[in-house]
Amino acid sequence: MIKHHPTFELLKSFVDGELPASLSAGIAIHADMCAVCQHQIAQLTEQVAEASFEFEEAFLDRFIVDSNDDIEDMPVINFDQMIDDITASNALTETVVKTEKQISFNEQSYTLPNALHNMDLGRTTHIGKLSRARIQLDENEIHTSLLHIQPGGGVPEHTHKGFELTLLLDGSFEDENGQYVKGDFIMLNGDHQHHPISPEGCLCYTVANDALHFTQGINKLLNPIGSFIY
Amino acid sequence: MPNEIDHSQLCLKLKAVAQSRDKQAFTVLFKFFATKILRIARGKFPNEAQANEVVQETMSNVWRKAHLFNADKGAATTWVYTVMRNVTFDMLRKIKGNKEDNLSDDIWPMAESMVSETDNYEDHLAQDNLLSVIDTLPEAQKEVVKGFYLMEMSQEQLATKLNLPLGTIKSRLRLALAKLKVQLGEDHD
Repeated sequence: MIKHHPTFELLKSFVDGELPASLSAGIAIHADMCAVCQHQIAQLTEQVAEASFEFEEAFLDRFIVDSNDDIEDMPVINFDQMIDDITASNALTETVVKTEKQISFNEQSYTLPNALHNMDLGRTTHIGKLSRARIQLDENEIHTSLLHIQPGGGVPEHTHKGFELTLLLDGSFEDENGQYVKGDFIMLNGDHQHHPISPEGCLCYTVANDALHFTQGINKLLNPIGSFIY
Repeated sequence: MPNEIDHSQLCLKLKAVAQSRDKQAFTVLFKFFATKILRIARGKFPNEAQANEVVQETMSNVWRKAHLFNADKGAATTWVYTVMRNVTFDMLRKIKGNKEDNLSDDIWPMAESMVSETDNYEDHLAQDNLLSVIDTLPEAQKEVVKGFYLMEMSQEQLATKLNLPLGTIKSRLRLALAKLKVQLGEDHD
């Protein structure tokens, strides 16, 4: 069973569209596997939508009069013109049928999560039982990868000065704090030292930032995690 | 309540746009949403032209993708919000990273269900009711209840996170549950 979830703050920022693509994709993949977070995201989305569109009704009433003059008194945009432009074509955007994409590491094939379908993958590099493919999101100090660990492999003890997200896509691994299963969303910061090993092998989606170029926005956002000990 | 959104009206208009390419209906939607989207976009983009582009792009997508709206899965406002958020996300990414990869529809798919399919309608209502009752609890109890039940944290984890003794967490939970029981009646044991 999935035991590790994004914090409420992360889910809220995800819904607001304020997280970088790397972390947004991580939460989307987790939510695909976790009904609890999916439900919470749906509720948060409903709430923020309501809040975004509910007020200024009275103010808006002035423009619901079918008079061009009123609308053209509005700032800078000619709304009538925009409506005409948009409705000039009756074409509907075709629904693209999603096909599954596969990715393989060491002759093992995995289904690529939907959120990663259009991301560019770099060359895979190997170090012992570890294989890593960078996902090229161009987010400066934030590095995103797919990390594959062959059975019996592990990551040497390490800490991160920034944050480190490990999302288990397949298989399992364990560290000092216990065992992790498919779907677990594990966010660590510099206070954590860990040494994950994977007796059966696993595939992870990882996001980490470089402490040397810590951005203030994200730093602030992740502060609650500092006190969130697993 | 004043200023309440007429959800069923918006929903009907959106369906009319999808099914009969109804320009009148689209105009109603446009007049409801456009100024609000513009105001929100101005908060995110310093450049006026970019804020206008968000309105243009969002409303174009509403026109071209209306058939992806599913009234069973959420309000029209929620769907339009999703469209606007996705447009904004892709535009910000383009401006910041010089990368035009339009990832938003993969991250927040619009054609798929917003609410988990395993939830049935009754459960959804029950949970909404429960959430609104939880919201009436005092702040200290509310955060413990939410952490424990909604975020599935253990009492120990909550004690660490909130920097409180374990005993305090336990007594707050007990108090909160007693209150919830009174408010929800016997059938929610």
